[in-house]
Amino acid sequence: MLTYEPDESLAHRLDPRAKLAVQIGFAATALAHTTPRALIAFSALTAVAMATARLSLRRTLVSYRLALVVLALAPLLAGVTVGPPWFDRSAAVASGLASYRVLLILLVSAAYVRSTPVRDSRAAIQRTIPGKPGQLLGVGVGLVFRFLPVLRGDLRTIREAMAARLGTERGVVDRASTIGMLGVARAFDRADRLSLALRARCFAWNPTLPALAFSRVDYPVLGLAVILAVSAFY
Amino acid sequence: MATDQHSVELVDDDVVKPFARAAVLAALMGAAVFVGSIPIPFSPIPISLGVIVVYLAGLYLGPYWGAFSLLLYLTAGAVGLPIFAERASGLGVLVGNSAGYLWSYPTAALLIGAVVHRLSEDGDPADLSRPVLVVTLLAALTVIYLLGAAWLGYVLELSTVKAIEIGVVPFIPGDLIKIAAVVAIVEAERIAT
Amino acid sequence: MIEFRSVSHAFDDVPVLEDVSLSIDAGEFVLLAGANGSGKTTLLRHSNGLLEPDSGEVLVDGTPVAEDLIAARSSVGMVFQHPRDQFVAATVGEDIAFGPENLGLDRAEIDRRVTAALETVNMAGREDERIDALSGGEQSRVAIAGALAMEPTHLVLDEPFTGLDAPARRSVLERLASLSADGTGVLLATHDLRDVCELADRVIAMHDGRVAVDGPPADALAELDGLEVRVPDTTRC
Repeated sequence: MLTYEPDESLAHRLDPRAKLAVQIGFAATALAHTTPRALIAFSALTAVAMATARLSLRRTLVSYRLALVVLALAPLLAGVTVGPPWFDRSAAVASGLASYRVLLILLVSAAYVRSTPVRDSRAAIQRTIPGKPGQLLGVGVGLVFRFLPVLRGDLRTIREAMAARLGTERGVVDRASTIGMLGVARAFDRADRLSLALRARCFAWNPTLPALAFSRVDYPVLGLAVILAVSAFY
Repeated sequence: MATDQHSVELVDDDVVKPFARAAVLAALMGAAVFVGSIPIPFSPIPISLGVIVVYLAGLYLGPYWGAFSLLLYLTAGAVGLPIFAERASGLGVLVGNSAGYLWSYPTAALLIGAVVHRLSEDGDPADLSRPVLVVTLLAALTVIYLLGAAWLGYVLELSTVKAIEIGVVPFIPGDLIKIAAVVAIVEAERIAT
Repeated sequence: MIEFRSVSHAFDDVPVLEDVSLSIDAGEFVLLAGANGSGKTTLLRHSNGLLEPDSGEVLVDGTPVAEDLIAARSSVGMVFQHPRDQFVAATVGEDIAFGPENLGLDRAEIDRRVTAALETVNMAGREDERIDALSGGEQSRVAIAGALAMEPTHLVLDEPFTGLDAPARRSVLERLASLSADGTGVLLATHDLRDVCELADRVIAMHDGRVAVDGPPADALAELDGLEVRVPDTTRC
């Protein structure tokens, strides 16, 4: 599973905002270009991004396995024709190139995931998105991180309790609605207790934000982000 | 206390409650990818809880907080929580092959929430008649399919027909079951609004 | 000091508090006893403005709560049942920093408070641990530390022992006793007075939304019959 891992790589030392900017710039230009020449350049950039984050290619591919299936299937499907010639090679190639650039975009974002703790992302959101939306999204990301394991436990308990009483023999609609209903009801109970605690702890629109500061290594990265974004238009 | 508190601006109490519910629901959406899905007969794709939560977010949180909840889910997944399908994460997923489906979720919740908001005075989905509820959910599903297949076709350079073959048809049985499950949940009236 | 002046409160026309008047001094350790539904939780939620009274008023250190919510909520730290649902961050240090961040304190002061609060609950140096990896007793203590980081004059706890085993319960109690000895007022709601009453200066028992008993533990215990409160096996306290 792809997730943050503590390390000393160059990517780990970069400011999260610089890393986000590069990803956005890269995605913008990759979505705009699918020529083989452009893809070679993108591949080189992707390799650099992965190396700076010390990302393992094999493990990253495994974590994107669902996307890989679709990306591999798409060119095949694109090539198939209902009548002769039965396989349209140029359509397949076009789709293959397009699929490949999507893979590169995924790999570049994996470098961010491995090198950035949730705390830093939260700080980046709160410092970049202005006003109340930024504050709610930032605190919200922290809350999702916090409650993810709690709700995983809830869902597992609900499923086990159903299985223990042979709920697995019931119809699929019945099972799906039971899990969904109990899951949401329990989630709302937890949320209502959480909201009380948030109020008691003076949940404010203008808190002291987590510390973040650009350092010298961040500026070339920001420059690269700008070049990438601009190249999307050429 | 010796601290400078005059400038503290508390979040209003009537914002805190729906915000907490939206955040916890986004976590539930994420938690759904960790627990196994339910296999269904005659379909290669099992049912996951995910899209059920999208519908419920619109129904029980209303248009704005429902859409916010799913935007939060997208944000949390983009910055690295393993909460997209098959525990994937990363900003790239939000422009990748499945991006259209993901971005359709807040839109679908907004649409469902708007219908509930219009038809029920106190925002209770149980006030909707069954036909209205079913049509609303099918409309939301249509939005999900439209955006999902359109982006899939664009980003992988597939024709419309092929995008539908790979991105819509295999999911139809499971999605209809989910809609039936959501109707049952609403009619049971056990979730407090 | 927390003062309740003729506070009444009803939920959907069902009265939960009826004309409650009492005051709790700084540094006092007070047990709030009573069966489920006796009004304990409602009373506690009035102490820092989480609820508004239908009539009467609540004052914290002389100021009406309704006039300055921020002062009331930072002076009265609150710890609820189910600590698991009160945490806002995944790691100990980030969670404890939440309250001081909301007060707009500078980073150095926030860090100092987090360190001090963890020391007070006997968990010094554990800022970076994941909250989910902690035991129930440790989670309770982190919840208390989260309230202490606001540097409150009072700590209010609502059944904080739910789900804790005996040793965890004792370790939380020891921390509360030493806090009270250091001058923080403690108001602890519980339906089970076993092994807490020797720590208390005073026992208040609620019954049907009214104060039924209020006095030193030794006197109060004798009057608790019929109030569905679990009392120590020994009658001495």
